[in-house]
Amino acid sequence: MVQTILHGIPVSAGISIGKVYFMHRAGMHVVSHEPVHPDRLGYELERLDMAFDRARQELKDALDKVPPELKEHASLIDSHLMILADPKLQGSARRILEEQCIEAEWALDQAVERIADVFAAIEDPYIRERIQDVRAVSERVMNHLALLDRDNGAAALAAKPLSNRVVLMANDLTPADTIEIEVEKIMSLATEQGGKTSHTGILARSLQIPAVVGVSGLCETVKDGDLVIVDGLNGKVIVNPEEAVLGTYGDLKYQFEKYHQTINQACQLPAETTDGFRIMVYANIELAEEVTAALDHGGEGIGLYRTEYAFMHRRQLPTEEELYEEYKDLASICAPRRVVFRTLDVGGDKIVGVEPTDEANPAMGLRAIRFCLRHEELFKRQIRAILRAALHGNAALMFPMISGLRELNQAKFILAKAQRELEAEGVPYAKDMPIGMMVELPSAVVIAEMLAPEVDFFSIGTNDLIQYSLGIDRTNRYVSYLYQPLHPAVVRSIKHVVDAGHREGIEVNVCGELASDPYCVPILMGMQVDGLSIAPQAIPGIKRIIRQATLEECKDLLRDVLAANTVSKINRQVKETVFKRFPEEVMFFSSLLDLDEG
Amino acid sequence: MKPNERTASRGDLEEDVVSGVVAEVCVLNEQGLHARPAAKLAQEAQKFVADIQLVSGDAQADCKSILDILTLAAAQGCGLELRATGADAQEAVEHLTEFFKRRFGEKR
Repeated sequence: MVQTILHGIPVSAGISIGKVYFMHRAGMHVVSHEPVHPDRLGYELERLDMAFDRARQELKDALDKVPPELKEHASLIDSHLMILADPKLQGSARRILEEQCIEAEWALDQAVERIADVFAAIEDPYIRERIQDVRAVSERVMNHLALLDRDNGAAALAAKPLSNRVVLMANDLTPADTIEIEVEKIMSLATEQGGKTSHTGILARSLQIPAVVGVSGLCETVKDGDLVIVDGLNGKVIVNPEEAVLGTYGDLKYQFEKYHQTINQACQLPAETTDGFRIMVYANIELAEEVTAALDHGGEGIGLYRTEYAFMHRRQLPTEEELYEEYKDLASICAPRRVVFRTLDVGGDKIVGVEPTDEANPAMGLRAIRFCLRHEELFKRQIRAILRAALHGNAALMFPMISGLRELNQAKFILAKAQRELEAEGVPYAKDMPIGMMVELPSAVVIAEMLAPEVDFFSIGTNDLIQYSLGIDRTNRYVSYLYQPLHPAVVRSIKHVVDAGHREGIEVNVCGELASDPYCVPILMGMQVDGLSIAPQAIPGIKRIIRQATLEECKDLLRDVLAANTVSKINRQVKETVFKRFPEEVMFFSSLLDLDEG
Repeated sequence: MKPNERTASRGDLEEDVVSGVVAEVCVLNEQGLHARPAAKLAQEAQKFVADIQLVSGDAQADCKSILDILTLAAAQGCGLELRATGADAQEAVEHLTEFFKRRFGEKR
C-alpha cells in the first residue's frame, strides 16, 4: 500500500492515528463503502425493495390521513409517491447494487447522485430544485433501511462494527448529521467539503478532536478501514502512512497531548501578563449544561449566553416561568461569577409560533433586536425572566445587533416597562443589573462614543462585525477568502470601540472567534480590552498566552499592525511575532487567519 | 384530426422499433413539463405495458419516469417525439397524444 498525503484546512487542533469510517454523503446514515460478500447480494436487494415498499406504505398512510382542506400537502405526497415508484430511482439503485455488489444504502446513494448530476445541468431553476424531492424520498427510504438493519440485527451489524473509535470521514457534515453521530466513537473528522468556518470545525473543537476540512480527493482516495493520520495542526490527511511517518506523528501526538495536559493544569490561574495586566476570560455557551465545561476549563464566568435554544426546537414558546427557571439555575451555578444573557438573536423563521416573514436577505432583515422590538410581548417575557433570575447571581443583560441610539433606547424602554410591571406586581427582581450591547454593526462602531454613555458595557461581536464590515458572507465559498479577521478596517474598528468605551469608563469585551485566535489575542491585549469571551475549550490555551506575554510587547505589536496597510503585511507581522513568542501555541492551535499567503 | 402518427416499418434503419409507433407531440400548457404535468404524464404512461420514450433532440426520456421527464425541461411550445414499442404501443401513443393535446389536464 502506497502512502498518500492529502491536503486540507486544519479546523481543530490535534493528531489522530486510526482507521477510517465513511459517513453517508447526506449525513444521518453511516454507509459502508466496502463491497459485500456475493452471498449477501440477495439479502441486500431484498432489503432495498422492502425499504421502498415500507416508504411507499408510509406515504400512502399519510395520504389517507390528509384532510380534504389540505389538498396542497397531498400533492407533495403524490409526487413523492411517484418518485418512489420511478424506475429511475429504485431500478437504478437495484442495478448499481448488483453491478458493484455493495450495500443497499450505498447503491441508493449513488443512484440519487446520478440523478442529481443530471438535474444539476437543467437550466430551469424550478425543475432543478426538484432534486430536493428526490433527496427527501431517498432519506425516507434510507430511514427504513436503517430500521430494517436493526430488525435484522446481528447479520447486518456484523458488517458495520463501530466498536472501536474511528476516524470519521464524509463529503460534508451538516448540523443535522452531527446529531446522529456517536461522538464517543469518533477520534477525528475529515471532510472533502467545508472551509475554515464550517460546522465540522465547530463540532470538532467542541469535542476537542482533530479535524481537517476541504480535503480534495478524500472521497476518491480513502476507503473504509484504511489506516490514516489526521493532522489537525497542519491540515493533512495521510493515508497508509509509512513506518517512519507513523513514528514522527506518534511523537507529535505525544507532545500535543502533553501540552494540553500542561495548559489544562494551569487553566484556573488568573489571566494576567507578567507585567501585571489583568484580563478576564469568559466562556461563550449556548446550553445551560455547558456551564460545567466552561468553569472546568477556567472560565471566569459566562461572557455570552446565547438564549435562542429555548425558543427553537419545540412546539410552543417558553413561558416566563420556564425561562426564569433556566436563567436562575445558570445564574446561581455561576455565582459569584458573571453571566451575560444576550437577548434573542435570531429571525422569526427559527422561532416557534411566529408567523414567518418572506425576506430576500434575512441576514440583513428582521432579526435579533429588530425582531424583538416588533414582538414586544415576547421580548418583554424574556427580559422579565432575566431581571428576576438576576437576583440569584451576578447577571447582566445584553442587546444584540444594535445599529444606533434610537434602537438602543427602544430596547431600554421595553426593559423599563418590564421593570415597572414587575414592581407593580410585587415580583422581586434585580434593580441594578448591568445593561450592555453588542457592537457588531459598522454603524455602531462609527458612533461608539455616542452609544457608550448609554450602556454599562460593550461586547464586540467580531464574527458579524467582520462579515458586515467587509460585506462577506463567510459561508459563501466564492468569497470566503475575503473573510479577513485582521483586515486593517477590522482592527481599527475594534480599536475605535475599545477606546470609545474606555473614554466613557465602561467595560469593553470581545466575543467571537477572533478572541480565541492565538494570533489575534495579543493584538486585542495591546488594545487593553477588559475581557475575552470564547469557546470553553479555547480558554486554557488563551490564558496561557496571556500569562506568558507582557502588555508592553502586545502594545508594540499593535503599533506595528496599525502601521501596516494591507492584510498580508499584517498577517506576516503577526505571524512572525507570535510564532517567535508562542511557538507551542502556534503549533498546537488552529488559526482563523490565512497565513500561507505572502 | 388523427394524430400525426405512422407505423414504423421503414426498413433496416429502424429495426429496433419494428413493432413501434411514433408520433409528434407538442407541449401546450403554460408551465411546460413541470412537476405536476410530468407526474400526470408518467402516471398515464404507466397504464400501458409498452416501452414509451419521449425524445427531444438528443435527449431521450422514459415516459414512465417522472424524473426522466423532468430532465427534458420541456417548456411550452416544445415539440417532442413519442416512441412506443410493445403490445399496446398503438393505444399508448394515441392515448398520450390526446393527453398532450389536453394540456395534461392543466387549465392553462
